[in-house]
Amino acid sequence: MDDDELITRLAGGDDTALRELFTRHAPMLAARLRAVLPPSDVEDVLQETFLAAWRGAGSYRPEAKAGAWLWGIARRQAALVLRRRGPATAPLPDLLQAGAVALPGPGMHNDLAQSLATASQLASAVGTLSPADRQVWQLMYEEDRPIAEVAKLAGVPEGTVKSRAHRARRLLRAALGGGAG
Amino acid sequence: MNQMNDDPRLDGIDLGRVWTGIASEVWRRHPGPVERLAIRLLRSPGLARALLNTPALLLPWLISTVVVLTVGGLMSLAGGEPLVWLIAPGIAAIGIAYAYGPGADPAWELAVSMPVSDRMVLLVRGVTVFAVNAAIGVAVSAVTYLATTHGLPGGGGHHTVAVSAAITFAWLIPMAAVCALTLAVAVLTRSASAGALAGVVAWGGTVLASRVSTGAFSAAVTDSRTYLPYLVVAACATALIGYTTRTQRRTQ
Amino acid sequence: MNIELTGVTRSFGSNKAVDGVSLEAGPGVLGLLGPNGAGKTSLLRMLATVLPPSSGQIRLLERDPGRTADRRDIRRRLGYLPQNLGYYPAFTVVEFIEYFALLKEVPSARVPRAVAAAVEGVDLGAKAKSRLRTLSGGMLRRVGIAQAIVNDPDLLLLDEPTAGLDPEQRVGFRALLRSLGETATVVVSTHLVEDVGAACSEVTLMDDGHIVFRGTPADLVTRGEGHAIGDAPLERGYSAVLQAARAAGQGAVAA
Repeated sequence: MDDDELITRLAGGDDTALRELFTRHAPMLAARLRAVLPPSDVEDVLQETFLAAWRGAGSYRPEAKAGAWLWGIARRQAALVLRRRGPATAPLPDLLQAGAVALPGPGMHNDLAQSLATASQLASAVGTLSPADRQVWQLMYEEDRPIAEVAKLAGVPEGTVKSRAHRARRLLRAALGGGAG
Repeated sequence: MNQMNDDPRLDGIDLGRVWTGIASEVWRRHPGPVERLAIRLLRSPGLARALLNTPALLLPWLISTVVVLTVGGLMSLAGGEPLVWLIAPGIAAIGIAYAYGPGADPAWELAVSMPVSDRMVLLVRGVTVFAVNAAIGVAVSAVTYLATTHGLPGGGGHHTVAVSAAITFAWLIPMAAVCALTLAVAVLTRSASAGALAGVVAWGGTVLASRVSTGAFSAAVTDSRTYLPYLVVAACATALIGYTTRTQRRTQ
Repeated sequence: MNIELTGVTRSFGSNKAVDGVSLEAGPGVLGLLGPNGAGKTSLLRMLATVLPPSSGQIRLLERDPGRTADRRDIRRRLGYLPQNLGYYPAFTVVEFIEYFALLKEVPSARVPRAVAAAVEGVDLGAKAKSRLRTLSGGMLRRVGIAQAIVNDPDLLLLDEPTAGLDPEQRVGFRALLRSLGETATVVVSTHLVEDVGAACSEVTLMDDGHIVFRGTPADLVTRGEGHAIGDAPLERGYSAVLQAARAAGQGAVAA
C-alpha cells in the first residue's frame, strides 16, 4: 500500500494506517530532528507531528509527498516546542514559511542553529516594538494564533493586524541586521 | 516497534515510547455526558463505567422493559387489574438479578479481584435498575390512569385503576427515601452490605411502625402524613452523600 | 517479600485443595508446576484475594488481605489472569482493557497511556479497535494478559497464560515475563514445562495440595538425571520429583 492510500485511510479514521505511516516515516523524521533538538524534544515533536497528521489527514493533497508533508508538520511542531520555552528561543518566523528552507538536512541545521544564536537579540528587539505591534507579534508568532483570532483579541480589523505584523517583521529584521527575507 | 531503535542516529530516542504516546491519544475513549455525570456522583470512574455497562440498563433491555410494561398497562385498561404494578417488580427483580454476579458476568472471577468492590457495583447497579424500572412503571401507570379517566375504551375498571395509580405514584416517595438512605450509608461506610442493611432495616421498621400506629401496613405508603418525613430523609441522605464523596480522598 | 504464606490450607468440604503450604517470594518469575488437581489454581486464587484461606497466614505486598482497606491496596497493585477468563464480546480490545484499568483504580489521567502500553506490550496494536468477538483464542489470551499488566502490578498472577499461543507468541511472552520479573513478583501457573524453563528464575512443584519441590529450573533438571520418563530434561525432573513425592506418601519440600 502506498503512502497516499495510507493517508486516505488515515483521514477515514483507520488507526492501523497511522501505525504503518509511523513505522515507515518516524525513523527518518527522528534522525533529522535529532540533528537540531535534544532527544526528549525529538520525542515530543514526533508525537505531536503524528497526532497532527492524524487530525489533519483530510487536508493532505496527493501531489505532495507524504514524507515532505510530514516533515512540514514536524518543522512547525519543532518551532512550537522551541517557542514554548520562551521568546529567547523562538526562531524567526521566516523559517515557518514553506519554501524558506528548501531541503531538510544540514541546511536546516544551520538555519535553526543560527536562529537560536540570534534569539536573544530577537528578544531584546521585540522589546523595542510599539505596544500595538508587540501585541500582534506575540499573538501571531509566539502563540501561533490565526489572523482572525488575533484580530478579535486585539479588537482591530484583520487588515490592521496584517499591516502591524508586516511592520513588526520589517523592524525586527532591521534590528537583527538584515536576516533572510 | 522496538526494531526501529537500531539506527545509531537515534541515540536516546525511544520510538516505542513515542508510538505509545500517540496511540494513547488515538485510542482514547471520551466518556459521554451520562458517564461524566455518573463519575461525578459516584466519585469513581470504574464504578461509573460498571454502572453504565449494566445489562439491564442497556438500550435493548430498556426498550423491552417499556414494551412489556406497556402491554401490562394495556391489559389493565381492559380487565381492571393493576397488572403494571404486578409486572414491574418482577421485571426489576430480573434486571437486578442479572446486574452482576457469577451467573451474569462472564468476567466474574476477575471482577471479584478488583479494588472497586463487586458488592458496591451490585448495590449501585441494583439501585439504578430498581429506580429505572420504577420510573417506567410509574410512567405507564400514569398513562393508563389518564387514559381511563378521560373516558377511553376500557373504562370498566376505572375506580380500581385510579386507586392503584395513586398507590403507584405514592410508592415513589418511600422508594426514593430507601434508595437514598441505602446509598448514603454505603458511600459513608464504603460497604455495600452496610448500605443494604440500613435500607432494609429502615423500611421494615417504617412499615411495622405504621402497622402499629394505624393498623395497616399499607399506611406506610398511603398515609400522606408520612410523605414529608420521607422527603426529609431523602434530602438529608442525598446531602450526606454529596458531603461524604467530596471529602473522600483517593488513596493513590 | 511480596508473598508470605505460612501453613496455608484451603478446603472445599472434605477435599483439601491446598494443604499446609508455606511460601515466600520476592521479585522474579516463579513458575508453579503440577498435575491437574494439584491445587495450583486454588493457591493462585488465594494469592489473588479472590478466595480466603481456610487456615494459615497470608501476607501479600506486606499487607494483610483479610483486612478490607489492605485488600483494596493489594488489589490496586495486583494483576490476575484467571484460567478461564470470560470476555464481553461487544467490547473492543482497548475498551476491555480500559474497563479493568478503571476498576483497578488506575488514576484517570494515566489510563490512556497505560492501556496503550499494555496493548503494545502484548503485541495487539494492530487489533486495538477490533471487537473481542472477532479475535482468535490466542489473541483473547493476550488481551487477558494485557488487562493483568495494565496497572503495572507489583504482584502478577497468571494461570495458564500461554494457552492458545503459538510458539512465536510464546517466545515474545516469555521475554515480557522476564522484563516484568525484574521489579515485580510474577507467579506463572502452567502445565507446560518448557514455559517454565525459559522464563522462570524459580520453580515450585505442587502435588495433591502440597509443595513437593522448590528450586531453580537447573535444580529440577538435576533431579531428573537418570530418570526414564520424559522427553526433555525438565520433564524428566518433573516426573522424577512427582514419583518420589508419591512414593514417600507425603510431600517434602526439596531445596
